[in-house]
Amino acid sequence: MSAVLDHHDHAHDDHHDHAPTGWRRWVFATNHKDIGTLYLLFSFTMLMIGGVLALLIRAELFEPGLQIVNPELFNQLTTMHGLIMVFGAIMPAFVGFANWMIPLQIGAADMAFARMNNFSFWLMIPAALMLVGSFFMPGGAPAAGWTLYAPLTLQMGPSMDAGIFAMHILGASSIMGSINIIVTILNMRAPGMTLMKMPMFCWTWLITAYLLIAVMPVLAGAITMTLTDRHFHTSFFNPAGGGDPVMYQHVLWFFGHPEVYIMILPAFGIVSQVVPAFARKRLFGYTSMVYATSSIAILSFIVWAHHMYTTGMPVTGQLFFMYATMLISVPTGVKVFNWLATMWRGSMTFEAPMLWAVGFIFVFTMGGFTGLICSMAPIDIQLQDTYYVVAHFHYVLVAGSLFGMFSGYYYWSPKWTGVMYSETRGKIHFWSSLVFFNVTFFPMHFLGLAGMPRRVADYPMQFADFNALASIGALGFGLTQVFFLVFVVFPGMRGKGEPAPQRPWEGAEGLEWEVPSPAPWHTYETPPKLDRSATKVIG
Amino acid sequence: MSPDAQARMAQTPEQRRKNLRLGLALFTVALVFGLGFFARALWFGL
Repeated sequence: MSAVLDHHDHAHDDHHDHAPTGWRRWVFATNHKDIGTLYLLFSFTMLMIGGVLALLIRAELFEPGLQIVNPELFNQLTTMHGLIMVFGAIMPAFVGFANWMIPLQIGAADMAFARMNNFSFWLMIPAALMLVGSFFMPGGAPAAGWTLYAPLTLQMGPSMDAGIFAMHILGASSIMGSINIIVTILNMRAPGMTLMKMPMFCWTWLITAYLLIAVMPVLAGAITMTLTDRHFHTSFFNPAGGGDPVMYQHVLWFFGHPEVYIMILPAFGIVSQVVPAFARKRLFGYTSMVYATSSIAILSFIVWAHHMYTTGMPVTGQLFFMYATMLISVPTGVKVFNWLATMWRGSMTFEAPMLWAVGFIFVFTMGGFTGLICSMAPIDIQLQDTYYVVAHFHYVLVAGSLFGMFSGYYYWSPKWTGVMYSETRGKIHFWSSLVFFNVTFFPMHFLGLAGMPRRVADYPMQFADFNALASIGALGFGLTQVFFLVFVVFPGMRGKGEPAPQRPWEGAEGLEWEVPSPAPWHTYETPPKLDRSATKVIG
Repeated sequence: MSPDAQARMAQTPEQRRKNLRLGLALFTVALVFGLGFFARALWFGL
């Protein structure tokens, strides 16, 4: 790795020290920190839009009968809520974290392909507009569920084409982002930052990026086949022409299950950074963490049909996918126990990032356990398409991914904004979110066990109480996120608050804490000289 | 473990007090929920 000189002897280089101003800074952004900020703002906007759709769903389900939306619109709402949250909120948010933190953590000047980075981000805007705009197309938005199952997708109006095109664009954006992350991590680490000294967040993102490159083309293939079935008289999935809708499910879930890990592995990485910082100990079992993450990624490719136990697969198939799925709990358990062992006899304090991380471990583990229950074919046949499954994946994706992101926000925002967030507000945000999250989703386990089907706008009277409770919780959870935006994010963006020191957390280690707060526009233009642990700059 | 690392991991009395308070609060919540479910099961059946 050759040293990059940062001696700006030439006059024309002077402007490199200053960020461009106005709209040009953002539209033509090539700086990893600016693009990270754009990703984070975009994903929070999509989180809010997806959240409004969720609240419309919960408002309709507040009581039995049809009050607010008709069943057709209800199906559009559930579909779009899923698509927007998965592809518009969670995935881009983690890319935002990656953009901000990976170069800082490995001592690189920027991402490897700065212009492609810009393209990756700006591709998302037309895709998001097309996705959200599909509500206003004839026949309304896509309503086949976020999995876009055939043959429903073959029977829908033109918005399905918009949805498919949006997915294509978002997939291309994700693939470019992943290439960028892989090349950055493999080629641009500072001398001494060997792979096995790399921060866990970078490790989890490296593995996630490989997963993305492996499976996004599979999704693209599935929806392209849907497109040709719709318009070019093919019959991949159309039974009328000899096609097989179940084949769509196989192809989709070959993408879909690794996708679940794409949405959780970066959160594992964030928690693996936060827990050691606030336990004031090194991460317990670093090497096993790396191998566990890799194992989870590899196993994620051989479990897809556990989403399809009720499609009539042979018992031997059910057994294979059941045992393979159960196997994932082993590396996941390794991670959870490593976090607990890191905390064990540590000098712990519970500032907001740690609260979110501990909350993540507690609630995500509950989601993991219900996942284990769903993995068992005989039980899953009862639970398939009930609210138990809705409860399970919200425990994994909200309490998992989202809580992990909030932990990361509170942990790294002093480095981003240069000011400390209000600890009281952070704690209000955490406790309100934790309580409202559980009020919303815990009753759904009971609803599912009692047989309430998902994706249906109405339900019998016997489910009324738990549904009302879940709707109240959802409203509270939504308002709590508005609180976060108004009272935590906005003040941070405006630079309101105590100035943040270079290393606001005494137990935090890593190269991101070796640069001032806020991080200057350019960092590590010359590869830094690192100590033996690759956590400190010594020259 | 090095003395430096041990010193870093030692809790201050204030830290210990705060963590104990948080632990007690969480334990109380868990206890109330547990007793609540137990009482509900006794009175209304499972």
